[in-house]
Amino acid sequence: MKKLWALFFFFWPLVALIVCWIAPDRGWWFPSEAKSPLGSRIDDLFYLILVIVTVVFIGTQFALGYVLWKGATKEEGSEAYFSHGSHSLELIWTVVPAFVLVFIALYQMDVWAEFRVKSYYPEETLKDGPMMEVKARQFEWRIRYPEPGKDLQNQPQPGDLYTVNEMHVPTGKPVKFNLRTDDVQHAFFAPQLRVKQDAVAGLIIPVWFMIEEAGDYDLVCAELCGWGHYKMRATIVAEPEEKVAEYIEQLQADQNYDGVAADEDDE
Amino acid sequence: MFLKNRHFSIVTCGLLLAVVAGCSGSDLPDSFKARFVYSDRTEGLMKEAQNGVEDLPGVKELLDERFGDPQHLLAWSQLPVDFGGLSGTVAETPAGDVVKDLKLNLSDSFTLEEGQTAVAQFVTGEAAPAVVIITGWDAEKSEAILASAMETAPAQGDLVVIGAGERLQTGRSLYMQHCSHCHGTSGDGNGPTAEYLYPRPRDYRHGVFKFTSTKPQSKVSRDDLTRVLRNGVAGTYMPSFVPMLNDEQLYDVVEYVRFLSMRGEFERKLAGELSADYSQDAVDARKADGESYKDIVSELKDFLAEDMADSLEFVSDDLATSWTEADTDDALITPNSPRVPDSPESRRLGRELYLSKAINCADCHGVAGNGNGPQTTIYEKNPVTQELYSEPGLHDVWDNLNQPRNLTYGIYRGGRRPIDLYRRIYAGIKGSRMPSFKNLKDDEIWHIVNYVLSIPFEPEPGHAPLPAGDVATASNN
Amino acid sequence: MATITPAIESHSDGHSHDHDHHEIGFVSKYIFSTDHKMIGIQFLVTTLVMLMAGGALALAVRWQLAFPWESMPVIGKLLFSGEGGQISPEFYTMLFTMHASVMIFLVIIPILAGAFGNFLIPLQIGADDMAFPVLNMLSYWFMWPAIVCFGASFFVGGATAGPAAGWTSYPLLSALVESAPGSGSAQTFWLLGLTFVGVSSMMGSVNYMTTIINMRAPGMTLFRMPLTIWSMFITAILQAFALPVLTAAGFMLLTDRILGTCFFIPSGIIVNNAPETVGGGQPLLWQHLFWFYSHPAVYIMLLPAMGMVSDMLACMSRKPVFGYKPMVYSMAAIAGLGFIVWGHHMFTSGMNPALGMTFMTSTMMIALPSAIKTFNWIGTIWGGNVRFNTVMLNCAGFVAMFIVGGLSGIFMAAVPVDIYFHDTYFIVAHFHYVLFGSTLFGVFAAITFWFPKMFGRTMNETVGKWHFVLTFVGFNGTFFPMHLLGIAGMPRRYANPYLHPYLEHLLPMNQFITFSAILMGFAQFLLLGNFLYSMFCGKKVGRNPWGANGLEWSAPSPPGHGNFDVPPVCYRGPYEYSSPEAKALGQDFILQTTPPPEMPESTPEPASA
Repeated sequence: MKKLWALFFFFWPLVALIVCWIAPDRGWWFPSEAKSPLGSRIDDLFYLILVIVTVVFIGTQFALGYVLWKGATKEEGSEAYFSHGSHSLELIWTVVPAFVLVFIALYQMDVWAEFRVKSYYPEETLKDGPMMEVKARQFEWRIRYPEPGKDLQNQPQPGDLYTVNEMHVPTGKPVKFNLRTDDVQHAFFAPQLRVKQDAVAGLIIPVWFMIEEAGDYDLVCAELCGWGHYKMRATIVAEPEEKVAEYIEQLQADQNYDGVAADEDDE
Repeated sequence: MFLKNRHFSIVTCGLLLAVVAGCSGSDLPDSFKARFVYSDRTEGLMKEAQNGVEDLPGVKELLDERFGDPQHLLAWSQLPVDFGGLSGTVAETPAGDVVKDLKLNLSDSFTLEEGQTAVAQFVTGEAAPAVVIITGWDAEKSEAILASAMETAPAQGDLVVIGAGERLQTGRSLYMQHCSHCHGTSGDGNGPTAEYLYPRPRDYRHGVFKFTSTKPQSKVSRDDLTRVLRNGVAGTYMPSFVPMLNDEQLYDVVEYVRFLSMRGEFERKLAGELSADYSQDAVDARKADGESYKDIVSELKDFLAEDMADSLEFVSDDLATSWTEADTDDALITPNSPRVPDSPESRRLGRELYLSKAINCADCHGVAGNGNGPQTTIYEKNPVTQELYSEPGLHDVWDNLNQPRNLTYGIYRGGRRPIDLYRRIYAGIKGSRMPSFKNLKDDEIWHIVNYVLSIPFEPEPGHAPLPAGDVATASNN
Repeated sequence: MATITPAIESHSDGHSHDHDHHEIGFVSKYIFSTDHKMIGIQFLVTTLVMLMAGGALALAVRWQLAFPWESMPVIGKLLFSGEGGQISPEFYTMLFTMHASVMIFLVIIPILAGAFGNFLIPLQIGADDMAFPVLNMLSYWFMWPAIVCFGASFFVGGATAGPAAGWTSYPLLSALVESAPGSGSAQTFWLLGLTFVGVSSMMGSVNYMTTIINMRAPGMTLFRMPLTIWSMFITAILQAFALPVLTAAGFMLLTDRILGTCFFIPSGIIVNNAPETVGGGQPLLWQHLFWFYSHPAVYIMLLPAMGMVSDMLACMSRKPVFGYKPMVYSMAAIAGLGFIVWGHHMFTSGMNPALGMTFMTSTMMIALPSAIKTFNWIGTIWGGNVRFNTVMLNCAGFVAMFIVGGLSGIFMAAVPVDIYFHDTYFIVAHFHYVLFGSTLFGVFAAITFWFPKMFGRTMNETVGKWHFVLTFVGFNGTFFPMHLLGIAGMPRRYANPYLHPYLEHLLPMNQFITFSAILMGFAQFLLLGNFLYSMFCGKKVGRNPWGANGLEWSAPSPPGHGNFDVPPVCYRGPYEYSSPEAKALGQDFILQTTPPPEMPESTPEPASA
């Protein structure tokens, strides 16, 4: 029975490892590989940490199983090993993890800096103003583009163009936008892009990302914002720059539609 | 089954189709055992009017046998609702005693994948209302193979519907997931979340929707409902449902909302026919005047036996006509002339109209457009009960306090396109105190539109000249 | 240090000591008791009941995630009959908010500090009671207004609109009454409940610190204290420093809601067409204040369990704790670092990104003492005469689960990776591994271990083992897959994640999780049943059924009023299992109170190295 218990503690980490091993094939993994360069670096970091953590997991769980097994197989009546610890062992298992942890901490600083620290942003995003304003509200994403040829202002302007739950961005170049909220706190979460940023009442937060591949990407809310939190689904449409320009033009025409113009259809 | 021939006679030009719950190919959860509630007006009738006298049905039964309950929706073909399903007739009377396959004339092409089944229901003829399961379909011979032999053989020309009400069912499932917690299972705008929302979610049962593109007296069109689902209603808790729902699903939800609206309207009108004489209050008054309860009941019985059929026909015809009309081009408001180009002059004219005695927007929306005109401080009378409302301000037909829009926010619930504002002014906001101004000239409406659109950006409404840049912007439009 | 001379005379004082105590009435013995043991047991029973309540809430959450919008058992019939038992989304938000609030504030914090802190501190340091017995009683009775407030918050705002801003209650959702159905009076009551819990904890904390500093038995030097006491001591200090911040923040939020101050509310916000906010505040301030308490609180919810597990592992392995002093220093380091890592909850919040780097480094560093402790626990078992009983199994479960919880934390400590994982199920998996996987397995072990001291009877071994296995399997089945849900990008607090196509395929996994959770939930009835049965019908045992060393085992089981029949004197550290001294007595343990064979003349007994 004792041995069975020791094996129990060997058995479950094994199951955990197998589940993790088969997870990517079964779809229990990232929704897709990262679709933005910064996202790929986040993934790389994840896999690096995953390797380190897996080694430690196997090591410690095996050690736990091993000492339990030794305890279980100890002869009846034999004495326990009397020891208050080992100074050198303590030293080893303090210094080694400390080294690894400091390494992880330092290794990832630049990814973080590039994501959030303005002076590390890609040049293009510093040169141009934000492309649009994404305003979260209970329970949708309202997007405001400046009138073509104008810069985005923090206050709405007469020529501004509005859409809801659909964000068109050009591919192949960094896109910067202002993230705001109309009411409570929300978070801009684009899982395929690995971008997440809270939208905080009273703050205008610049966010940037870059998409290489044209396509539709999900945008969801990741900060509890009320009962409709789960409903805040939107699409980020990445397409070539000309197409975005066309889209904006169409948006402008739609928004100025007066019901008479012959070439428009009224939905 | 859900069909009772006894009452079929009442339904003159229609027929009832039972929608069998849970049989569609939809993989949405179908297991809600929800229920429709009756309106206060119905519940306010005397018991006999609600539940019927002897074998004559009351309002509740008349309603239920046409609309069913959420688990067993009924498709009343009198209604202009796209219930879904493929209709057709039996092509030839099957030979032999055991009917295991059937030649059909269908209105559209039909396919059935290997291993799938479809449900068909006979609507007319001897076999009705039998339900059969089709296990195979021979497209060339247009012949259906049935899962089991039929008890009663159908005859040539019998109406049959395959997958009846599939669309309504999908709409119902989606509605229960996305809409019901605010708008309520019955579409009464009284779901569990509703009481915390301001403005209250729409109660469909009046058959009235506020933001439409249709003429002042017209119902809401399918396009209008779809647009609201697409764009949400800015400034309220009604969110956009795109991309959550695709076009097909939006259509299904819209059909279900229309179904609920018609159900509510049908109930409302039917109960309205009776409420003058047979509401609990009326009965109490009549008793006080010396009539005996027995006499009232027997009078009600006579009414149900003799006049109810006419009332039903009238109500259902009215429903069918008005809801059908809403989707026609005739109902759509289309300006005769294009928008007057936005200019300081146009805005000034708009401002003058806004303040003019005849139109007097400022009476509600306020001189500066803040939505705080003098009307918002007056106590209104409830048109039904003739009692004063408890809070000052304007009330809509749902008895909710309605703040006139604060035009300085730049939030337009019915849409921000010029045409949306035009239609708002032309048709008013249905059910609310915003009236129709359809007698204004096109240009006048456009001036007001231009002015209203400029309000959020002008520091001194109508007075301060616009910054040069903005004027240039405006003329680009 | 002063010379410690064991007071031999005190032995003979025993009799007169007993004479001071008179028969006490039922009410003052069992209800308004000032006896630390009774208060500890009261805390334990209350928190176990709350554990079941919190678990029921969790199962309701799981039901919705496995069968979204389908008729919910019991609750559906009661509250949502018109909708066919389909719950409303704000009810779902209430469910997870109250699950977390109950579990954290009414279960984990009070079961560790309240139940075991109270019961063990005087017994393990050789005191006859707490320093302030009345304050101690008050600390228990202040739990009740908290329970009443939390309970009332379920319905004061309407039957379906309980507090719904999450246990973190971020403004503006929690600050603006109009922003959610549950943000009305329900939220106010929730905040009041939080305040009462705070008051209760603060009373406990002051008491523990004073008791541990002042009331140790002769010979009980700081480094002869069991690790349980060290952990309680450090926890009490943590609480004393961190809690006032939360209490103040809670009051600020209350005044924002009731008096119209705007500490957390910026200007110009319109929610639900309510009047525009006046503003001037900053919602991030709440997050800073909240996490300044709540991150240390995570250690408040873990350290005592660490201490108790160290005690039990040593006893069940019949071996001294591996590296006693490093264990103490690690706990102190965790507590110290615990104060400067709160920002790791806010990496994506929009605070200054430079702070993100600082917090990342400190967070990485806090993993170090945790790692040391883990290695030391394994070292403790290594080479021991392991007894595979319920206590040992739960302790081993604790270590195994703590490893997972600790390692998953590394992903989140890495800011860039946290950008992706923040507010996904990865986080949910992580903190359940720490709070349930570690703390609760530690608590299960502790209940079994000290049960004989509480009631003079042992708990049933077979049922205990079944409880362990079912809970362990159910637990891992529930929470391990949540890591994968998090990697798949499933955000927390979604009433229906499957609206999003990239999460649709996770429904079967969520159903599996729910079935595991139901298994785990129902397994707790074994614990409750075992507890109640053994309380009255368990096997009677003597003073020291486990052959343990601590002072508490020299007292009668259960100890009478005043705890010890003779005031104890401590001669050595608590972990001298299998020491030569013990062997000399022919056993593998030696009580801290057993005098050494020869009394040294005047030199104090050094604490065993």
